Formats: sequence, C-alpha cells, structure tokens
Amino acid sequence: MKNRGATVLAILVAALLILPLVVHDTFVLRVLTEGVMWIGLAIAFDVIAGYTGYLNFGHGAFFGIGAYTIGILMMQANLPFWAALPLGGVAAAVVALIAGIPTLRLKGAYFAIATWALSRAIQQLALNVEFTGGPDGMRLDAFLNPQFFYYLMLITVGGTFAILWYLLERAPFGLKLKAIREDEEGAKALGLNPTKLKMQSFILSALPTGILGGIYAYWITFIDPSSTLGDLVSDQAVVMVVFGGMGTLFGPALGAILIFAFKTLFWAYLSDFQLLYLIILGALIAISVIFIPNGLWGTMFKRKADAARPQHQTEPASEPAALSAVAAPEEGN
Amino acid sequence: MAEPILKVNSVTKCFGGLTAVDDVSFNVAKGEIVGLIGPNGAGKTTLFNVISGYYAPTKGNVIFEGNDISGKPPYHLAGVGIGRTFQVVKPFAGLTVLENVTIASFLKHPKKADAVRHAWQVLETTGLADRANVSAAGLTLAGRKRLEISKALALEPSFLLLDEVVAGLNPTEADRTVELIMKLKAQGLTILIVEHIMRVIMNISDRLVVLNFGKKIAEGTPSEVSSDPHVVQAYFGEEAA
Repeated sequence: MKNRGATVLAILVAALLILPLVVHDTFVLRVLTEGVMWIGLAIAFDVIAGYTGYLNFGHGAFFGIGAYTIGILMMQANLPFWAALPLGGVAAAVVALIAGIPTLRLKGAYFAIATWALSRAIQQLALNVEFTGGPDGMRLDAFLNPQFFYYLMLITVGGTFAILWYLLERAPFGLKLKAIREDEEGAKALGLNPTKLKMQSFILSALPTGILGGIYAYWITFIDPSSTLGDLVSDQAVVMVVFGGMGTLFGPALGAILIFAFKTLFWAYLSDFQLLYLIILGALIAISVIFIPNGLWGTMFKRKADAARPQHQTEPASEPAALSAVAAPEEGN
Repeated sequence: MAEPILKVNSVTKCFGGLTAVDDVSFNVAKGEIVGLIGPNGAGKTTLFNVISGYYAPTKGNVIFEGNDISGKPPYHLAGVGIGRTFQVVKPFAGLTVLENVTIASFLKHPKKADAVRHAWQVLETTGLADRANVSAAGLTLAGRKRLEISKALALEPSFLLLDEVVAGLNPTEADRTVELIMKLKAQGLTILIVEHIMRVIMNISDRLVVLNFGKKIAEGTPSEVSSDPHVVQAYFGEEAA
C-alpha cells in the first residue's frame, strides 16, 4: 500500500517534469502553472488551519504581501528577481509574526474574523498609499518564458510540499501542532508552549505563501489590490483545504487540483455566469462540512495504518521491566 | 520526615472577591503520597492549578526542589518534573491513544522514534497498550482517566499531581488504578492526590491535608484526620461533631 503510494507519486512528479517538453500550448502551460501554484497555497494554508486548528481567513494577505514586495523591490529598488524573491517570503513571515501576536490569542470564529479583517485592512492600505500604485496596481518588467515559470512554480511547490511533509508527518512538530489543535490547555501540561508553536506554525504557513505571491507577480507582470489582496485567494484556499481534507497535506493538494480544474472549466465555458462560481464555492464549503467533515482525502483513506506494537513487550510478565523504564526510580525516603 | 520536595507556603488565590484558597501551607516529602481532601468547592482543584502553574497565587509561593515555581507556566513545570492529570479529562480526542502519549514523551525523547517507543512502554505499564491505535475519543471514562495518567507518566516526572483519577470508575477499575498508584510510589514517585472516594484516599495516603472553604482545617495521618472534630464537622455538620 505504502509502496504503491510512492510509485503513484513518482509517476506524477515525472509526468509533471516532462510535461512542458510535450505540451507546447502556452495556454495549457499557463493553466498548469497556476494549478501548481494553488496546490502550494492550499498546503501552506493547511499548516495553520488544518494541523494547528486556526482557520486563517486572511491567507490571501500573505500572497499579496509577497507579490507587492517583489513588485516594489524590482521596480523601485531595482533589485534582481532572485534577490527580491526570498524577501517576499520574509516580508510575509514578518507580517505573520506581528499579526500573530494579537490574533493567535483568539480562537475559532474570532480568529477567522480577526484575520479576515486584517487582510481587508492590508488591502485598503495598498489601495491608499503611493508606492503600491494604489487602485491602478503595479506593472513589472515582463519576462515572457512560460517554461521558466512552470518549472519555478513546480520546484517551489514541490520543495514546500517535501519540507512540510517532513516537518508535519515525520518530525515531532506535526503531532505537537495537532495537540494544540485538540486541546491547548491540556498540551501545556505536557510541556508544550502553545504561543511558541502557534507562532512557528503561522510563520511556516506565511513564508511559502509570500514566495508564491512573488513568483506570481513576476509571472503575471501586473498586480493590483483586488487580484492579489482580494478575498478570492483566501476563500479558494479555504474551500480547497476543507473539501480536500484538513490536516493531511495530500488532501488539500487534491482539493486544489479539483477546485482549480473546476474553476478553469467554468471560466472557459460559463464565463457569463461568473457570479454563480462564488455561489457554488460557498455551497461546496457547506456541503463538505456537513457530509464529509474529514474532506475527500480523509474519507477515502481512513487513518494511517496502525502503529505496530513492539513484540517483546506484549507479555504481562515483562511489566516490571517496562515500569522501571517509565520513571527512573529515585532513592526512597 | 525526609526533605520536602514541595513546599506550599501561605498560598492564597482570589478570583475577584472570592477567596478560593486561603493561606494554605503544607509540605510534601520525597516518596510520599499526600491526599488532598475536602467537601465540594473546598478549593482542591484551584490549589492543584496553582501548584501546576495554571494559576499564579495571589499571595504566598510554591517551592519545588528548592526553587520558587509560583507563577511559572505549566509547560515550564512539566520540564522540571511535575506531571499532572485533569479532573475533567483532556484527551486529544482526534488523535490515537498512542499519539496522545507520544506527544508527552517528546519532553524527554525529542526524536520521534524514541518517543513512540517510550509511549509504548508507558501504555504497557498503564494497561492501555491494547487500545493504542484507538482514537482517544473512543475510550470509556475509565480509559480516558488511564490516558490522563499515561500522559502524565510519559513526562517521566518526579512529582505527580493526580486530580480525581478514581472517581467515576467501577470498583474493579478503581482497584486497578490504586494498584498502579502504589506501583508508582514503590518506584519513588512523589504523589499529591485529590480524591473523593474515602475508601481509596484513606488507604493509599501517607498523610492527608484537609481543606474547607479554602482553608486548611487539618493535616496528619489518615487515622488522625478521620477523628479530627473539625474534619467530622466539615463533612457531617455541626451536630455530628
């Protein structure tokens, strides 16, 4: 089962790497590039929302901050793209740090409302200050190479996925975040510092999102407050993750692929009914929450295979040995 | 008496105008089981929360192994060797029993494989190994209380605070838990336990501290305390005393 999963993943990665050599249609490549980007946005959102249990309705703000940071650094400070790109991630991470101090004290709906309001405030700021170009947006020097952007997006998202998978599914960090999600007070008694863990999670979520925003800005060459800082980025990320399966990484990736494919087809064939798209998104959230609370991935694949019990300890006779390993005996009184 | 591992010095805890714990002092010696008893609302759980770092005392202080720990956060206290359970159990409901205990094991075993191995050992000790892969939400009340103890033990503490780990269990389950507590004592663990079931607390405690309306009204061995007129009065009323 596990090997089959690895094989499927290997084939998928190989196919994605070869694709631009086979497909020369720039429209198709463009759609694929954006699809890959959405996988990245969804898995980054999943860190704070799925693993840590803090539904961030301002995820789009990190994307927009990354995009604007790259735009401003390249156009006004004349920095080369490669120097500006990491700073886009850093800018998003710094905003997460500052925004996290007050908002991460809130829980549930209050955190969702606070982050949504904060992202609206950032959008208003971008509309009203000079250096962002206000409502007219900002134009970047065009670098027209679809293959370059496809591969850059693929490497960034692939790398993000690998790092997140290691941290959240292999290292202790993921389980610690889940402990915070399940019971913050109880986690404290076990030596976990919730404030620190939530902050790390929020920054880990913001950093790749800012970088993706930066790549997007350079790729699309035009950014404005509604396309990069609007509600749609956050809303779509929420739907992808909730529909795909919160706290699983693979689920949000699957959700991103399905929702983005749907969006592309909808735009291509039913663009006269744009309003309907948002209504469908809203309905999909409601349906997911009610009928598949664990999302597609969580419903398709039950929890991971049972952890094997170490053989040598199954006999009750060995209990005293196990006991002495639990708590090192201190000298009696 | 051996050197005290825990000293509670004139601890007072107020919530607004309500004094939940009022100038309480007592010591716990290394290797001892001290029972904390008192009628409902006497301030037992509040005192537990002060000792385990969930509340800062309004007045007074708590000394653990010679260091003032009053007002230090709970995750710091877990690090210095204080493990606690919660009267209202706090399982990580969406995770398996093994994952619950593994999270606590990270404190002393930062590598995941080591933490998982240690969690298995703890579950073997507490008798939950058969349920390791069950979601914590699927445990019975008895199971959840055992999970509370398992998580506290996985921290490898030197001092354990047990808040009503027996209440609500049937007699067989209660006996198993008492047996476990005695085993832990035999290993040298120091235990402060809150419990309502007199049959249990009288049997396992070396000493008892009795609270009523936030004040300490008696302290001593179980037999001393049970014949103390103040205690009899607190439990049975004026006339009985």
